[in-house]
Amino acid sequence: MFPVLRRRKGVRAAAAGAALSVLAALTGCGADGVGRAAPGPDGGSFSIGVPAWYVAHLTPGRAGKSSVADAIWTPLTRIDDRGRAVGAVAQSVRSSDLRHWTIELRHGWTFHNGEPVTARSFADAWNAAAYGPNAMPYGYLFSDIQGYTDLNPLKGKPKRTTLSGVRAVDAHTLKVTLSRPLSVFPYTLTSTVFAPMPKTAFKDLAGFDRLPIGNGPYEVAAPGIKPGVQQLTLRRYDGYAGPEGSAARITVKSYQDDATAFTSFQSGAVDVALASGSRLAQARRTDADDVALSTAGGVVYLGFPLWDKRFRDRRVRQAFSLAINRHAVTRSLLQGLASPAAGIAPDTVTGGGQRACADCRYDPTRARRLLSEAGGWHGRLTLWTQADPAMQTVLEAVLNQLRTNLGITSITLEAQPTDQLYPNLSAHKADGPFLLYMGASYPALYAQAQQLFTTGSGTNTTGYRSGTFTSLLDRAAAARTTPRITALTRRAERTALDDLPLAPLYHPVTGAVHGPDLTGVHLDFLGDVQLARISVR
Amino acid sequence: MARFLVRRLLTMIPVVLGTTFIIYAAVYALPGDPVQSLAGPDRAVSPAAAAALRSHYHLDSSLLVQYGHYLSGLLHGDFGIDFGDVPVSSLIAAGWPVTVRLALTTWVIQAVAGTGLGVLAAVRAGRFPDLAVLGGSTLILAVPYFVTAYVAQIVFGDRLGWFPVSGVDAGWPRSYLLPALCLALLGVPEVARLTRAAVLENLGAEFVDTAVAKGAGRIRVLVRHVLRPSLIPIVSMLGLTLGTLLSGTILIEGIFNLPGLGYQTFQGVQQHNGPVVVGISTLLVLTFLFINLVVDVLYVVIDPRIRLD
Repeated sequence: MFPVLRRRKGVRAAAAGAALSVLAALTGCGADGVGRAAPGPDGGSFSIGVPAWYVAHLTPGRAGKSSVADAIWTPLTRIDDRGRAVGAVAQSVRSSDLRHWTIELRHGWTFHNGEPVTARSFADAWNAAAYGPNAMPYGYLFSDIQGYTDLNPLKGKPKRTTLSGVRAVDAHTLKVTLSRPLSVFPYTLTSTVFAPMPKTAFKDLAGFDRLPIGNGPYEVAAPGIKPGVQQLTLRRYDGYAGPEGSAARITVKSYQDDATAFTSFQSGAVDVALASGSRLAQARRTDADDVALSTAGGVVYLGFPLWDKRFRDRRVRQAFSLAINRHAVTRSLLQGLASPAAGIAPDTVTGGGQRACADCRYDPTRARRLLSEAGGWHGRLTLWTQADPAMQTVLEAVLNQLRTNLGITSITLEAQPTDQLYPNLSAHKADGPFLLYMGASYPALYAQAQQLFTTGSGTNTTGYRSGTFTSLLDRAAAARTTPRITALTRRAERTALDDLPLAPLYHPVTGAVHGPDLTGVHLDFLGDVQLARISVR
Repeated sequence: MARFLVRRLLTMIPVVLGTTFIIYAAVYALPGDPVQSLAGPDRAVSPAAAAALRSHYHLDSSLLVQYGHYLSGLLHGDFGIDFGDVPVSSLIAAGWPVTVRLALTTWVIQAVAGTGLGVLAAVRAGRFPDLAVLGGSTLILAVPYFVTAYVAQIVFGDRLGWFPVSGVDAGWPRSYLLPALCLALLGVPEVARLTRAAVLENLGAEFVDTAVAKGAGRIRVLVRHVLRPSLIPIVSMLGLTLGTLLSGTILIEGIFNLPGLGYQTFQGVQQHNGPVVVGISTLLVLTFLFINLVVDVLYVVIDPRIRLD
């Protein structure tokens, strides 16, 4: 009998102890010091919360464009504050016929391990990224370079491992031959996908992906990306040949959930966080000084399934576009965090911002008339979008406007994950208009026009084909001066939007929130924070 | 006992085979193309890259052949390689400690709070504490637990600053208490209701009257004569809640940014990273089966009347 009694006492003591330790944990806490901005003579340190995919991969051909990739890698050219492509590692990018390009590299650039950046480093990196079996997700960006198809045959194994169009003439001269004239080639080179890689990378591409040695303003501190570790430390590279980073250290914390990243920022666990939608609107109302905004270089559009005979008549597409009140969507629903679109790119992109689309205004009377002239609407209508709460909300507003303004009564919504939706679109399985976002892969109108409207582009979701458009865009690609490229691309854009395979709706605004002790938080054309320009006070 | 164990282990073999196959088939039958999702949402993969990826991950063979590859690897303790070229076993090794800490913390909260409230409700049946427990449980069950989690983050993490909002930087227990509390809310009401019913039933039993009659103390009667026999359904209930708990970690670890198995499963589903989802789900099924076995054995320890053979 007694042992039982003693055991009970023991249990009670243990419980009391546990309760005490819980109390101690509760009272003995302040904000955890990790990731608080700290100024210092060396520039100090700060932390940023990013979506988990930002740090899923770090190799140029795998990572794509992100704040983190921009900090680790410096490609040949960069976009200056006026939206022009200027030299970064490149001294000059020249061509007499826009097909054969000669790129002279600046001297004195080194990788984080001290190895000099040479023409060879670029050639090797590009070959690895473009080589099909390496399966680098961004390898398709090399498709304009001669020899890409040899590395990515439609069937079987590639016979070559190097791009025939890329040749390192000497340590500082790179010759590139494209498969067609491309005047915007210097713009495409601004992508970090075109960054160089050091010799050591090619011994173990998978290991290099987790702990890369780059040539950007910041180097990745060991151990790099590790399973279960949600934090990446960037250290300023003192041998950097470009404009030096301000802060000495940056802690990058990854979050799976955007809401969590934002709440963590509010509690002070990170100094910078990306924000959008209602959270960004809330931050703008309460702390306008510490919010950085930028209109994203892309467009949210309502695409029409041109393979569906109900949408073959242009008047039907016009009616849909005219029935949507873009101002109501951007002002009320998106709380001003978007601007109504009448083109495929906003003015933050070279060549963008013109009123290219005549039917991108709100005119419900004309919409109804056009629809009835085209024979009216019969039967059900399905609207498609990606499984994303923000897009679904916008599509619901579009649905209501179509119902009210066109009198289409039976409308349903279908939301699918993007890796399901895009294959369905390219297989022509979607049976109604679809709401999607398309961002420019480099800040030029040409990029958007090429991605959305050219035949064979993976993101030409509507299946649009037009001889006039193609010849105008080809002429833009062969034009010699920037004003001429822009003028021709704009004509191509107007041609396409006259045919209206898709109706541009709005250009979203993205943002970042930051603590009061940080300055220089700027967003670039795709809404990415420029880490190297942030300084700690 | 030994015969019982052997029989149970043998019956587990078809269960393991069946469940892993169902998981495998379900994951690879998910709509959407893993190769497409590797390339990013709005990008086209070149055919050569797609072919290389498919053959690298055996995506080009039939489902049964793929499963065969996987199972033979599994028997050798190899969980395969994920779509980012990282061995799944290293992901599991990194995530396991986090999830075990979270699950055990949750379990303890569930067990202590659930039985405690249940006993309280039973002893004060029909009066205020009973009604309060009933009302509280109904309220808790009515609110989805991820809503509770977001609210808890804002209130206890941001406004009051008692706990970190997310992450595991503060270590155990501080980083784990808030997510564990939110997760425990899933099971506490059930455990409390069950305890209440079992305790009420036993309170009226004759052996309790005997104990009271022979002059045993109030607490002693309650703990030794009422609670102990009442524990049998509660223990099996706690075993079963482990299933909901493990699946709950997927959302909770995502919301609280805890780099555990649930977090990795969630990311695996998002990125269509089949090997990760299959590997971790398989492991969770094995754990669940093992816990059930332990629960069965525990019956004997709690109630000597039960014979396993």
